[in-house]
Amino acid sequence: MEFGLFMELSVPRPWTADSERQVYENALEQVRLADELGFDYVWAVEHHFLEEYSHCSGPDIFLSACAAQTSRIRVGHGVIACVPQYQSPIRVAERAAVLDIISGGRLELGTGRSATWPELSGFNANPDETKKTWDEFVRVIPKMWMEERFAWNGRMFSMPERAILPKPIQKPHPPMWVAVTSPGTEVDAADRGLGCLGLSPGSFSESEKKVQNYRKRIQVCDPVGAFVNDKVLTVNFLSCCEDGDLGRRNGLKVASMFSYMASQLLSAKEVLPTHSYPSEGLLPALRRESGSPGDAAKSFKGVTMGTPDDVADAIAAWENVGFDGINFIHQFMEVVPQRYVLDSMRLFAEEVMPRFKQGAARPIAPGVARPVAAGVA
Amino acid sequence: MPLAGSLDIRPLIEGASEVVLGDRQLRVDDVDILQVLYEVRVADREALVPPALNPTIPPVISFLVYRAKESAFGPFALAQLRLTARSGVRPRAYLISARCDNAALADGLASSWGFRVAPGEISLRRFHDRVDCSVREDGGTILQVSLVDPVPVTGHDVQYPPGMHLARVTRDGTSKPRIVQVDSEYEFRRADRGRPELTHFDPAAWGDARLVPDLAVSASFAACDMTIADVRYICNPDIPASEGTEKVSDR
Repeated sequence: MEFGLFMELSVPRPWTADSERQVYENALEQVRLADELGFDYVWAVEHHFLEEYSHCSGPDIFLSACAAQTSRIRVGHGVIACVPQYQSPIRVAERAAVLDIISGGRLELGTGRSATWPELSGFNANPDETKKTWDEFVRVIPKMWMEERFAWNGRMFSMPERAILPKPIQKPHPPMWVAVTSPGTEVDAADRGLGCLGLSPGSFSESEKKVQNYRKRIQVCDPVGAFVNDKVLTVNFLSCCEDGDLGRRNGLKVASMFSYMASQLLSAKEVLPTHSYPSEGLLPALRRESGSPGDAAKSFKGVTMGTPDDVADAIAAWENVGFDGINFIHQFMEVVPQRYVLDSMRLFAEEVMPRFKQGAARPIAPGVARPVAAGVA
Repeated sequence: MPLAGSLDIRPLIEGASEVVLGDRQLRVDDVDILQVLYEVRVADREALVPPALNPTIPPVISFLVYRAKESAFGPFALAQLRLTARSGVRPRAYLISARCDNAALADGLASSWGFRVAPGEISLRRFHDRVDCSVREDGGTILQVSLVDPVPVTGHDVQYPPGMHLARVTRDGTSKPRIVQVDSEYEFRRADRGRPELTHFDPAAWGDARLVPDLAVSASFAACDMTIADVRYICNPDIPASEGTEKVSDR
């Protein structure tokens, strides 16, 4: 199993001149520790205008700082918005390549399309188009990285032949992923040979069905890049403590706050009559876990909170479902002290991580080679 | 921290409907529903909803208009002004006020579900190129809104969150301010969406002069069968819904 940290960079009110700097400093300290402890990934979201919930609008810059302060942890966009009103695919390819170079070939490129009304309307993006534009982005970005000079005449954008520079260190190119929240996106991922970056905690049975479907379809995929990334990662809340009650209490603080903050954002699905957004992103699973109209998220089966044994049991359950790894939301809105977060990470690395870091890597699809630089165990 | 409502409900309680809880529901077949959404720009989002609820980011008002040719109360049209909100983590719409052209139905809606409803003349007309709605009160227009250039979507694409109605609820002989959660079920026959067009809106007449539309969001028009369900939950308007929600029916 692989483990990562998932960074939203949420900044609670009241905001002072120092609030955002402190959140970024804390996050970087967590990343440095994660690097020392053997975590596999740090992922940074791209969000715009989402007050308090996420102040991470320049993820490549944050990830550059992560890369500069670490030596082995992989740095991932989790995920970059493939919406032309936000940025051109040329700029995504260029900036990602720079990040790959300065990180020494440690980039993972997660892709997505935004799911909130404030973001889509803030950039005047057409929600009906985002699935289509995402598709074109993921088809052209690997070509931009691999071809010496690139030209394109597409539906969303066109460009004359140009050298898109620099090129990433990882050859043929960095691993690519897609955020999976809407039903059916796991199929999109499989058909394009993209890794599944699960961003929505769900039930075991729902998840198992999705993973099985993904595994089946990716066997016959037509990859958008030069190789298939067939990993499936899920997301969970991490709070690991010798005192199990304290671990659960603190974990639930993070999970509840995350649910509350996420729920205050207007999803595209909620206000736009469009089949382009069949689900509300992260929110349905969280809402399903609340017991009555007033409840925040409650502890649910498979949550990685409590003693090291509790956390290990939950991870084992997710491993049995078929996931290759888990990215952890370990802090949100600074609701638990930084010292607790760091201690939780240390205990997890000492007591839990080794139980899942043994054994051979899962076989991959016949005829498909994973890149040496992809950090596969 | 999550934004929490801070609306002073005391001035609103006086004019709130008296609700006597009971096992009742209202089914209406073949209802036309126009919903038009606009973002509002206000300095203090928290002050728009009671402390029980959380505002959304950003706040959005909805004009939700029903028209039925038949019902247990006869033909009617009902126009509501609602504001997006949250009860804990769940999407809800806080009712600012409503207008209805059927007095008997208005009484029923007020006493059973806590609708803050006044008489009004409501026109809802569907054309192939647009749907027009106007609401008049005391001879003056207080809303004129349209959906322009309709295109078909599925009923699954349209959402009407449960209403949250500030009312006075009588139980065991005592009356207390409560927010009544109004759940409705919809069986869609068809649905269109289109471009919203707001020609006239008097927010003060609807009950909150701060709700000035700023950015058009969406418009939909649907035909469906609708059931307003028995009240299942009420909550204390003064404390967060996570603490003050009470189940009043097992249905």
